Amino acid sequence: MPEVKQTEYRGSIHQRQKDLMLKWYERLNEAAETGTPPTASLMISGNCVELLEAFGAVPIYPEVNALQLAIRHQSLEPILAAEEIGYAPDNCAYVKADIGCYLKGITPTGGKLPKPDLVLCNFVGCNTYVKWFEHTAVLTGSKLYVLDVPFLCEDEPSQAAIDYVVRQLKEVVTLLESITGKKFDYDRFTEAVRCSAEVEELWSQIKHLARRTPSPFDAYFDAITLMGPLYVYRATPEGVEFFRAALEEMWQKVASGQGVYDQEKFRLVVEGPPPYPYFRTFRDMFAKWKACAVASTYSTVGGLWEFGARHDPDHPFESVAMHMLSQNVTNRNYLQRYEQIKRYIEEWNADGLIIHFVKSCRLFSAGQGDMRDYVTKTLGVPTLYIESDLEDPRYFAEAQTRNRIDAFFETLEHSKLTAKAV
Amino acid sequence: MRVAAGVDVGSTQTKAVVMTENGGRSILARALVDTGANVRKAAENAFVVACHSAGIAPTEVGFVVGTGYGRYNISFGNAQLTEISCHARGAHFVCPTTRTVIDMGGQDAKAISVGSDGQVLDFVMNDKCAAGTGRFLANAADVMGIGLDEVGPLSLRATRAVKIATVCTVFVESDILSYLAQGKKAEDILGGVHLAIAKRTLSLARRVPLEPDITMTGGVARNVGMVHALEEVLGTKMQVSPDAQFIGAIGAAVFALEKMDQSFESSMWRPEYATGSGH
Ligand code: SF4
Repeated sequence: MPEVKQTEYRGSIHQRQKDLMLKWYERLNEAAETGTPPTASLMISGNCVELLEAFGAVPIYPEVNALQLAIRHQSLEPILAAEEIGYAPDNCAYVKADIGCYLKGITPTGGKLPKPDLVLCNFVGCNTYVKWFEHTAVLTGSKLYVLDVPFLCEDEPSQAAIDYVVRQLKEVVTLLESITGKKFDYDRFTEAVRCSAEVEELWSQIKHLARRTPSPFDAYFDAITLMGPLYVYRATPEGVEFFRAALEEMWQKVASGQGVYDQEKFRLVVEGPPPYPYFRTFRDMFAKWKACAVASTYSTVGGLWEFGARHDPDHPFESVAMHMLSQNVTNRNYLQRYEQIKRYIEEWNADGLIIHFVKSCRLFSAGQGDMRDYVTKTLGVPTLYIESDLEDPRYFAEAQTRNRIDAFFETLEHSKLTAKAV
Repeated sequence: MRVAAGVDVGSTQTKAVVMTENGGRSILARALVDTGANVRKAAENAFVVACHSAGIAPTEVGFVVGTGYGRYNISFGNAQLTEISCHARGAHFVCPTTRTVIDMGGQDAKAISVGSDGQVLDFVMNDKCAAGTGRFLANAADVMGIGLDEVGPLSLRATRAVKIATVCTVFVESDILSYLAQGKKAEDILGGVHLAIAKRTLSLARRVPLEPDITMTGGVARNVGMVHALEEVLGTKMQVSPDAQFIGAIGAAVFALEKMDQSFESSMWRPEYATGSGH
């Protein structure tokens, strides 16, 4: 079977995405050199970037830096640097890559990264965040604030939990006022929340286009490309503009019947982040089978919007709290994660599920064996379980991974053929 | 005569099977060579040797399916399939009532749930580490200075199998050394080693339905101690064909015959095989 290459989404959006990300790194470089704009480290998952926007502060995302390094095959050096000072081999490799970068003065673009004015740990679901940001604060000498966000054990957060988070958000406001020397601009905050709501609506519409056959984009690999602007520019007019253009471009693809492949053969749901150090190789393994992801849980780490939730400019603080508590996949309980996958399989019309187990990510990966059982046995949907890492190249075994993927599609192909024959 | 072949390029050994369809399908010949460093060469050798013992020229073989880790290195193959598909189909060929395959090779262990016509329904494999594979066994044999062929039969003589706590291929050495230092008998240590692998394999295999008949395939199936230990932890007998280590190649040959039926033409032959001179 000939290898299919270069399948990533390459519209004008692709270039705009690159430009936007570059611009972000330029602003961070400027902050490093001149001290302005103010910056704060934040986690992707369920964050409160709208508050930063109200102060004209720029977010630094260590996870984005780490994955950018890995895609560029540069993650091992900082990982080893972190292990040298005592990080264990099975610590989250994102943490090690990021800490190693501080130790070694490495950045993904070669430009400078500023010392954050605030290390703002938005702890949602993953307790690794807390230790990670504590260490970042020690290394940079920056102020640390840890938001304590209760894990979502029930279907919906309680009013007490919402109030608790809102109280902390208001403390962050006071902190940002003293750091930036600016008064909190409520209107600017509301405007940021409004932008977020609009971006979420547009992003959600894009994701719903993947329900079509063929899907105009790969909702795992291409979604990752779009996730850069989604996280960095969510609460900004640039973000709104970008996603308007993205939606329009996707609609054009839909209108001309253009899918990811000349012929879409398999539709998948993907769970877990990708092996970034082998991103291209990994993608090609699916491209070979013309298998298109139509939905992915990883693309909901920042926010789970395709099922209707939005930020709300009429209740800005409460809606930011709601977002942190319940509208991102990492803070949600396992039954909700099952339900999310089930809906994807049914409503996005998928043939199977791929679970990529990440060795160094306990949060996301613990329990995926049971998830596999649930999907294969209860839902009766073919599931492939593969293991490597999202950041550490040492965990990726190419031949074994290829073998599993090929075997999975051989089986799917066979069952599709026999189903047709019946 | 309609003839097809399957070549299974494994990490340690390469197997080739030539099969014909004459009324029913039957195996004409098998060949086994060490894979060594030159995977391509090993595949060619195995194929040519099998043709030779079948008494046919390689050019008479209508279709070749390659499988195993080295399948993409088979220069003369018409199609490639993973060993997961091939083991399922091969096990179904030697034992049509197979519903589960437990395959243990040098580098990996897998469990495959098989449908009534030999198709794969689901599969699980060990992860990147070699715990619970043939390599673990080979390491144990090495540390004890016993030949790999002897460890299985010897383990059957265990009366008080020791507990091997680790499944790590590296750490098992220190476990064994400390038992040797305590004066434990070789058979009891080996009994423990086999049980440890069997338990590890079972915890993996439990993720598929494990329906009977269970057929064991792969090179490790030749080890009677391993078969015994697995049957003990499974609580049931397994089918073990004398062809256990050829199952992947057999499955590949069955696929090759089927693909011929789907009228794939055999024009993909490379000229060097036209002479059938062997390489
Ligand atoms: S969610 Fe996983 S990858 Fe992210 S910080 Fe936590 S452990 Fe690391």
